[in-house]
Amino acid sequence: MNVLEASKIQKSYGNKFMKQDVLMGIDVSIERGEFISIMGASGSGKTTLLNVLSSIDRVSGGSIKIDGQEMTKKREKQLAEFRKRHLGFIFQEYNLLDTLTVKENILLPLSIAKVSKEEAIMAFDSLAEELGIDEIQNKYPNEISGGQKQRTSAARAFIHNPSIIFADEPTGALDSKSASNLLNKLSDLNARRKATIAMVTHDPVAASYSGRVIFIKDGRIYTQLNKGTESRQSFLKDIMKTQGVLGGVQYEH
Amino acid sequence: MSINQMILRNMRKNLKNYYLYVFALVFSVGLYFSFVTLQYDPGVDNVETSAKMAAAIRTAAIMLVVIVTVFLVYANSIFIKRRGKEIGLFQLIGMTKGRIFRVLTIENLIIYISSMLIGIFVGFSFSKLIQMVLFKTTGITEVASLNFSAAALLQTVIVFFVIFGVIMLTNWIFIKGQSILSLFRATSKTEGQIRNISILEIIMGLLGLVLIIAGYYVSSKLFDGDFSVMNELLFAMAFILGAVILGTYLFYKGSIRFVANLLRKRKKGYLNINDVMSLSSIMFRMKSNSLLLTIITTVSALAIGLSSLSYISYYSAEKTSKQNIPDHFSLADEQNAKQFEQELKESGFDFYQKEFKVLQANVVTKEILVKQQSGAAFDPSEMVLPIISDQALNEMNAAPDEAIFTGYSKVLASVISFDKEGLIQIEGKEKVIDQDYLGLENDYILPYSYSDGGLPTVVVDQTTFASLQEDIDEEVQDEPLTYFGFNLEDPSNLSEATDLFQSLSYNDDEGRSSQYEAFLQQKENMGLVMFIVGFLGLTFLITSGCILYFKQMNESEEERPNYTVLRKLGFTEADLSRGVRGKQLVNFGIPLIVGLLHGYFAVRSGWFFFGTEFYTPMLIVMGIYTILYSIFGGLSIVYYKKVIREAL
Repeated sequence: MNVLEASKIQKSYGNKFMKQDVLMGIDVSIERGEFISIMGASGSGKTTLLNVLSSIDRVSGGSIKIDGQEMTKKREKQLAEFRKRHLGFIFQEYNLLDTLTVKENILLPLSIAKVSKEEAIMAFDSLAEELGIDEIQNKYPNEISGGQKQRTSAARAFIHNPSIIFADEPTGALDSKSASNLLNKLSDLNARRKATIAMVTHDPVAASYSGRVIFIKDGRIYTQLNKGTESRQSFLKDIMKTQGVLGGVQYEH
Repeated sequence: MSINQMILRNMRKNLKNYYLYVFALVFSVGLYFSFVTLQYDPGVDNVETSAKMAAAIRTAAIMLVVIVTVFLVYANSIFIKRRGKEIGLFQLIGMTKGRIFRVLTIENLIIYISSMLIGIFVGFSFSKLIQMVLFKTTGITEVASLNFSAAALLQTVIVFFVIFGVIMLTNWIFIKGQSILSLFRATSKTEGQIRNISILEIIMGLLGLVLIIAGYYVSSKLFDGDFSVMNELLFAMAFILGAVILGTYLFYKGSIRFVANLLRKRKKGYLNINDVMSLSSIMFRMKSNSLLLTIITTVSALAIGLSSLSYISYYSAEKTSKQNIPDHFSLADEQNAKQFEQELKESGFDFYQKEFKVLQANVVTKEILVKQQSGAAFDPSEMVLPIISDQALNEMNAAPDEAIFTGYSKVLASVISFDKEGLIQIEGKEKVIDQDYLGLENDYILPYSYSDGGLPTVVVDQTTFASLQEDIDEEVQDEPLTYFGFNLEDPSNLSEATDLFQSLSYNDDEGRSSQYEAFLQQKENMGLVMFIVGFLGLTFLITSGCILYFKQMNESEEERPNYTVLRKLGFTEADLSRGVRGKQLVNFGIPLIVGLLHGYFAVRSGWFFFGTEFYTPMLIVMGIYTILYSIFGGLSIVYYKKVIREAL
């Protein structure tokens, strides 16, 4: 069953005379429990695609359905309501609130959903254990490392069991050890909780943790790779090969 | 690109940032200029009490300069912090710090001079209005004319260039003390590391509360007679001031964070959106804000206290004049009294008359004194008091060996207080009469001129009075021996009757007094004080309100990324706005409430020096203050809403 179904998404900036097309008709569908990556060179439109899919930005054309609900027709307030119940976010710059402790940051999405305090704390305890942030729960964001911040951010995305989690370059600001640690946790959570994850990245290693990679070039889908039963190492090789073909500046003669 | 071009471009680009600074400048210059214009105005110079007035206005002008300096330096500090990145960039491309400082100075100078010109123009127009207000409150019926004063202009220009120097100095210190890297981070780094609540903080918070309460307690005892020696009194006043200000600081630094932390702990990490927007954000900043909040609170308390006191005296001008002069008109000379009676009759006024004899005699009050006053200028165990017979009054009756005190001024009572009963001796020339003292009544019978400025009048039985009259001590008969009081049946005619009284000019009559005259006099004197204090209070209010508002503007910019996150997570604008309202209620409410409390206790300790009414005038002043303050709170909420709307 598909959690997300998007067809013919278009997005352009500027006015009638100075139009710049960023997305030019993209079809994406994501199944429940899938972990997909979106890759592409800088400027290919991958972050715009993620913003549009996650309802933070509006499309210029096309339709997006999440859990069967059409997103493009919703009003701002309905979108906010939808985001808080059905979507989770992980950002490159962590986006934790400095004024809140780790625990408070993580529990934030539950407080909007009016979950009872006992349930919320239970949900926190099990998730904190899985992500290894038990000991830092009462610390403030400026007292912990980047990896810990990103795991906190991940926990906040998972806590309310959203239909789909959007991650924008989650490993972008991390060193390689913290990055692989985070990605292992993400794929664990994906497997164990059947959480659906859509991640934008330009790092092939990060992408190799996912089950499917969508390559975007100049606002269009270039190709897709499925991991299938391959090992992560050989999947990584495939990704790098595709990236090699796709990447770089083309010289026109 | 030359430096000059760069300066101009910079200014164009920074206009958005400048407007806050420009506003602060125009406002301060306008205010100051209008005030100084007033000081140099010949119309004001002509006012009767000109020496007193000039001195009062000059003192006020100095206080204005101090407030304005603090205000401008603060506005500038916010402003330069916003431009930290730009300064870092200049350094990065190889400009020296001296050069950057020069660029900033020239830029600032252009802004400064143009705002000053606007400010002077605004102030000039505004001074007319102020003048009219001044003449209205003092009751002087002079036409307010608009005079441009070169001296006022010069003074304003000099003062503001000195302030400019101070601002440049702070800018220089800022630029000097920063490295390229720290400048890039200037906006995000200001708050420093957040730490958990320590025991020390709890102790500090409690100590703050204790100090404030101690200050309040001492202030309520201040004029109860516990501190009767002048040195003790001064010491107590200094203690109150120190304790309350320090206590306020510690209270802000410790208690608020402590209380907020308790609330937060109870939530066990499960905060709702209102908590996130208000509680955590306030806690995050309270420590670094406490000094600013203390200044604002102290300044507000000062303004509230002073304006309440002066308004109390203005408001109770009528009552005070009634206390000082119980009858509408009084005279001592029988001839004069007869003539005035005749005149009143002829002019067709309905009135009634009082006539009685007043003796002065030495009264030994040693045994009924509550406390010995060692530092006073005279010995209160023996006082020359006016004595009248109970036959002169309908309301009071004394037995032959009894005496009643009445009409004791509250101000004097705060220094020298009497027991409820006891023994006194009235000394005649040869004999001494022992009397039972029956207590103090509140009726005022004799005007100030008879009672030595507020000493009580002694009411005795007719027989005692008669025997005293036989044995009179001539040496102490400083005041007239007879009293004639006139009261109109219809007080609305008082103004015309006073005109008549004045036209007869009994200037050689020792007992001459007119209630209405005194009322006008009181109003004129207090109107001036009230005007100056009200002006200062308003300035205090507007500057402290502006500082809070600027601060909130700054905070909202700093929190913008948080709002972005929250909105991405699915909180709506309405959710966030609700939280902001709560936050602003605390941010503006706490300094307001603490300021009002401080003001209340300050006013309560000494209000009776200023007038006879307490609650009504004080509550009016406080109400106005609260409303004006809330306007700033409302403005800051509007600004926050804009930031929140633009956050996603």
